Amino acid sequence: MPQASLTSFDEGLVGSISASLGEPSWLTDARLEAFGQFVALPPEKNPLYTKYAKTFDIALDRFKAAAGRSEIDFRSFFTGYLTGNESDILLQGNETQVHAELSRDLSSKGVELTSLHDALGQDEEAVRELVRGRLVKSETDKYAAFVNAFFNCGTFVRVPRGVVLDKPLRKMLLLDSPRTPVIEQNFIVAEEEARLVYLEEQYSKGVPSPALVASTTEILARPNSHIDFSSIQLLDDQTTHLSNRGLGVSNDARATMSSLSLGASVSRSRTNFYLNGRGSFAEGFEIFFTDGEQRYDYETNLVHNSPDSTGSTQARGVLKGKSQSIFKGMIKIVKEAKNSRSYLADHVMILERTAKSDGIPSLEIDNNEVKATHSASVVQVDEEQLFYLTARGLPPDEAKRMVVLGFFEPVLSRVPIEQTREGARFMIEGKWEGEKRRLVDRETLLAATGELTPEVKESEDIFERHYKYR
Amino acid sequence: MKLEIKELHASVEGKEILKGVNLSVSQGETHALMGPNGSGKSTLAYTVMGHPKYQVTSGEILIDGESVVGLPPDKRVKKGLFLAFQYPVSVQGVSMFSFLRAAYNNSRPAGSEPPTIFEFKEVVAEKLKLLNMDESFLNRYLNEGFSGGEKKKAEILQMALMQPKFAVLDETDSGLDIDALRVVAEGINKVSGPQTGSLLITHYQRILKYVKPQFVHVMFEGRIIESGGEELSRLLEEKGYTWIRGYREEEQAPPQVGQTL
Repeated sequence: MPQASLTSFDEGLVGSISASLGEPSWLTDARLEAFGQFVALPPEKNPLYTKYAKTFDIALDRFKAAAGRSEIDFRSFFTGYLTGNESDILLQGNETQVHAELSRDLSSKGVELTSLHDALGQDEEAVRELVRGRLVKSETDKYAAFVNAFFNCGTFVRVPRGVVLDKPLRKMLLLDSPRTPVIEQNFIVAEEEARLVYLEEQYSKGVPSPALVASTTEILARPNSHIDFSSIQLLDDQTTHLSNRGLGVSNDARATMSSLSLGASVSRSRTNFYLNGRGSFAEGFEIFFTDGEQRYDYETNLVHNSPDSTGSTQARGVLKGKSQSIFKGMIKIVKEAKNSRSYLADHVMILERTAKSDGIPSLEIDNNEVKATHSASVVQVDEEQLFYLTARGLPPDEAKRMVVLGFFEPVLSRVPIEQTREGARFMIEGKWEGEKRRLVDRETLLAATGELTPEVKESEDIFERHYKYR
Repeated sequence: MKLEIKELHASVEGKEILKGVNLSVSQGETHALMGPNGSGKSTLAYTVMGHPKYQVTSGEILIDGESVVGLPPDKRVKKGLFLAFQYPVSVQGVSMFSFLRAAYNNSRPAGSEPPTIFEFKEVVAEKLKLLNMDESFLNRYLNEGFSGGEKKKAEILQMALMQPKFAVLDETDSGLDIDALRVVAEGINKVSGPQTGSLLITHYQRILKYVKPQFVHVMFEGRIIESGGEELSRLLEEKGYTWIRGYREEEQAPPQVGQTL
């Protein structure tokens, strides 16, 4: 396909992206509707947060896009990023279509791991249902609307009823000076009683260049299913990153979302957990470490729509240099959601006076028979801790490293996916040392570090721990 | 080999607390330092270890004749100094295991190859056994949620691993019940060899039943005003601190000086 010239994000672009992907008219219409919202909405809708909007402005106007896609040779593009032993992985280089490697075993079980547009060809009705029932709704957020209007790629993952996967499914996005923004629409579905672990990774290679990576990810845990989703963002410091996630958790289902963010110049992330079924359980872990002039704008909300639901989300971040972060979080418990428990925490450490962080937790609760707590703090490195460690012979740098890296642990150690947990430690240490590292498998990790320090596991229930002190 | 403190004056935030302390501890000796609240005992401990808030304004702290004044705490550790904290600091997220390993590696002589993780596990297991401590200690965050007794035991465990030449034990007996006191005191005896010189800071005589000092010093208003043998501690216990300055309890309350640290 000949490459179209770059334009700004206008209505014409919506039509040409949709046409270039050969989409059915209902999808084009859905895009146009989203485009209407994109134009109409302000960057920040919530009056609680508007005063911070300028600091974390995305400045979309800087970017231009085009329909059509460049072709890449996956093998050479991903050289150095894969061991060659991967299976059950989706690869995406820039905005090109997703390349899927699915083992025969999983495909025989009916597992689908494919690009959104291939899925559209195979099961248009299923995709149509998902688009119709989107959790990341255009009317709620300008940037959700942006992705819903302009997506030029996407993934579709579905694990059928009762299928339990013991190994993670992976998706790796690798950027190398993309000519047009990468705008993804992703769907991950665990049907009833299915179990899946999903690792999403985002990296940049080559010379840093201004780029835009935007995505919406819809994660649906049907009744009694279990999804552990993790995301690692290590884009280069010229890249703007937008993410919008919705997790819908049905009856007695369980969904966790672990996110490690180290890269990008500006990163804006929205995660909404919808505890839609009785007995549903959701847990979020937001871990970030910024330096230079990075700006992170994070929001996580727990929406309890059903009784007996349990939700928790914890953010831990460390800021160096002139970086800035804001964490917003809301617990919303509707009238019908009695006996629900909810916990929201945001704890940030700033290493230099030039770094800045705000936390805005809030509650909106319409039922008295619930437990809900939130907490937020911004701390500096404790001088008494440093003295204690240096009085045990640790040189000041090593003492500081230990305290700072330890700060992540109470949240990091709870990340349910071992590979993400160990990999996150390795990458955070890397950032501390000033080197870029990626998620690796255990063998590579052992080869690099020689040994793994035993983990501390806090066994207590965070609700108990918290209520003890109330 | 000696830890010598000569005419030491030190201030905290501009306020002079130590007003000319003289003390000499040789390896193999145990000294007890007693005195009322606010007399400067903990200030002396922190100053010897090099806490950044404590400024030496004059005088000397010498180890084997070499001054350590001005050296950062980690360099003092290399010279063989150790401080058991009165209030050990907790650090969430740092496991006891990795902390002890770092402390062990950093207190070893330069040039020696650090042990592997497996070798270190053996080293620490032996010390835990010595102090009747459970291995599950290692899988907790540093002092986080520790009871008073656990914290003090953990301090002695660190001393056992670091094998200092001179140990300052700052109220290691405070906050302990009788059983815990005995365990901790026995621990101190087990880990201090003939090569260790100890300065035991305490309010009370009770720990001295288990850890026998050869020398007892009494601190008051930033100075050591009386030194003697073990009998001095008994006398103090009987008569109280007011006696030492010639005050009689029934007549006059002791003067309030300094600040409690």
